[in-house]
Amino acid sequence: MSNKDDKTEAEEIDCIEAINGLYQYLDGEMDDAETKQRFEHHLAHCKTCYTRTEMEKLLTQRARDAGNKKASQALRERLQRVLD
Amino acid sequence: MADEETKSWFSERIDEYADPLYGYSFQLTRNRTDAEDLVADAVSKAWSGVESLKDRRKFRSWIFRILHNCYVSNYRKKSVRPVEVSQNVAFDEITDDLTNFLTEQSDEFLAWWGTPEREFANKVLGEDILEAIEGLPDEFKGAVVLVTVEGLSYNEAAEVLEISSGTVHSRMKRGRMLLQKALWIHATEAGLITETPPKEMHNEQ
Repeated sequence: MSNKDDKTEAEEIDCIEAINGLYQYLDGEMDDAETKQRFEHHLAHCKTCYTRTEMEKLLTQRARDAGNKKASQALRERLQRVLD
Repeated sequence: MADEETKSWFSERIDEYADPLYGYSFQLTRNRTDAEDLVADAVSKAWSGVESLKDRRKFRSWIFRILHNCYVSNYRKKSVRPVEVSQNVAFDEITDDLTNFLTEQSDEFLAWWGTPEREFANKVLGEDILEAIEGLPDEFKGAVVLVTVEGLSYNEAAEVLEISSGTVHSRMKRGRMLLQKALWIHATEAGLITETPPKEMHNEQ
């Protein structure tokens, strides 16, 4: 356990690196497990970056909800007629 | 001429993707009539070229790409707003640097960037965000809408926009930061940010 902690401490990232990876993390594009672990370790120890990440999550969800438009029935029927 | 199986499959996919296609189209055109016409044009083109889709698992990025290209070819010209064209081809290579980008920003924005207010996110409405996205330069808007609003992966967005995944990555980063700045300006003007934040940009720990 302590060895793992020591390793994480040694690879700690700073705020600039965290912000650089912020959107990649939020967009589910941070594929490398080690990079993700370092990022999350930083969030667990940095209130500012944690707050920013949470804020970005909220804004993203709000944008997604607002952009979630419904196609009208008339449009759906129009699209199906294209196939005729 | 597509066979019945293809027709049935295509019909189901169109029904499945009608909402997100309309959502993306509306975000591009900001007009219901144009958005519906754009989706119809894209679906018509897609149906005409359905045989060119070799991998059906890529339907989503394929149909979004057709819609995006229809918009660029036929609808963007109708926009009353000037279309902002990237000033330099090497944009992504030379400005994909967070530090350089942030140093171009105002002191107030930098201070806020370092100390985001929790209440801010609660006060900004979804429509405010979409409006701010609408104001982004086109090269960023496409990526931000596809990924942030429509939930496409970077690879899918890259296929839609016909750029590399790395370019999507850098456009997302800068586009989202421009979005933050636009929202910050909006929040400041609307009185949602009331306290002067400290000057330190990154007061870690």
